[in-house]
Amino acid sequence: MEKRMILIADDAEINREMLKFIFEEQYDIVEAENGQQAIEILDAKAQDFSMLFLDFIMPEKSGIDVLEHMVSNGYSDFLPVIMITGEATPEFEVKAYELGASDIIYKPFDPMVVMRRTMNIMELYEHRIDIERKLEKRTLELIESKEKLEKSNEFLINALSSVVEFRSMESGDHIKRVKTFTGIILGYVRKFYPEYKLTKEQVALITQASALHDLGKIAIMDSILLKPGKLTRDEFEEMKKHTIYGCEILENFKQEENEFYRYCYDICRYHHERYDGKGYPDGLAGENIPIWAQVVSIVDVYDALVSKRVYKDPYDVNEAVRMIHDGECGVFSDKIMDCFDLAKEELFAITQREFIEDEE
Amino acid sequence: MTIKECYEKIGADYAEAIARMMKDERIAKFAGMFLRDTSFTELKAAMETENYDEAFRMAHTLKGVSQNLSFTALYGPVQEITEALREKGRDIDLAKSLLPGVEAEYERTVAGIHEFLQNQ
Repeated sequence: MEKRMILIADDAEINREMLKFIFEEQYDIVEAENGQQAIEILDAKAQDFSMLFLDFIMPEKSGIDVLEHMVSNGYSDFLPVIMITGEATPEFEVKAYELGASDIIYKPFDPMVVMRRTMNIMELYEHRIDIERKLEKRTLELIESKEKLEKSNEFLINALSSVVEFRSMESGDHIKRVKTFTGIILGYVRKFYPEYKLTKEQVALITQASALHDLGKIAIMDSILLKPGKLTRDEFEEMKKHTIYGCEILENFKQEENEFYRYCYDICRYHHERYDGKGYPDGLAGENIPIWAQVVSIVDVYDALVSKRVYKDPYDVNEAVRMIHDGECGVFSDKIMDCFDLAKEELFAITQREFIEDEE
Repeated sequence: MTIKECYEKIGADYAEAIARMMKDERIAKFAGMFLRDTSFTELKAAMETENYDEAFRMAHTLKGVSQNLSFTALYGPVQEITEALREKGRDIDLAKSLLPGVEAEYERTVAGIHEFLQNQ
């Protein structure tokens, strides 16, 4: 380990020397003849010092000036200061302690006492800095592992949801777009409708959960799922059950307390409910439909309209918006319609970009 | 001449000095450095130019040094002039009247150290 350094700021050479002889065998000593010099040395390498001995009354800048400089530059956080003084002047002392000085030593001082007190203070500081470093490292590790976990979670959700798309012979982009659109619209809900009390973290979780909205389609037989023409009434009734099937799959891994599970479950089950109660499977109405399911509903409808499917050609984006506004795809709340309108230009831009990419 | 004899001659407290500094050589070294200390000459100069803030700082420095070296006889008048010059309750006439006493003790101290250094 490198030899540590001590800075002694005192205008009298003898006083500096008397401190120096105590410490010079174990430490490298740097001297400052006045407050200004001390400040300059600190600005250059405050980090290198383990202790500062500081005289109160010095030419140029006083000891108090030096302390103030240390506080405003953050040096006080890691560099302990022992004030050296010839007399007890309460106002100076209170000020020095307020500005972070660790101790005050009076002249004439006993070298052994100075040595012991200095060691104690340095140990205390080193110990504290060591603990802070460890804590910082641990926090970083925790953040890292949390990020890793989130990434693998996202990967698994994407993999799982793409299984459904793969079977439906869809492009694989529907889920990606649903996630993106859900995130955008939730952003507006959060901003303009604080009554839903959505947090940033919730928005992130709901966005992830939206990928699983059609999970239940994995349980729909090919003859219905992949049928190019119009479904019969019975076939459509079966198709509607994908909302229930999705929940049944999820229930196998039920996590009662987990909010992410709640979002996944609600979105699977309620993303075909409508605000007027005319949706399925439960015919929930109004705000009984969780806000996250309401958002995924409108997003799912919009994307279905503008996408090519086995049974239909894509609609133009403006036509899709008109149809949603006219209630041709069911009723959404005014708040959801408002957020959809706020978001539609962004949604168009993404839709356009993907279609151009598809053509290339 | 020993440093102890020197201390006795200049009215300094050898017992206190040795208790703190442990070795005669160390006391001698620091006492020797006192000859290089300019705070008294600067105090005197500042009094002449009527720069009393500077005079206070120099008196204060000299006081600290005398304390550290256990120069008790010098410390007395230096302590008094420091208080006379302190901004709060400054008394210039008193300071002026104290200066010759400080100078006398300072000269006695310096002379004593010189004598010690020449007769080791």
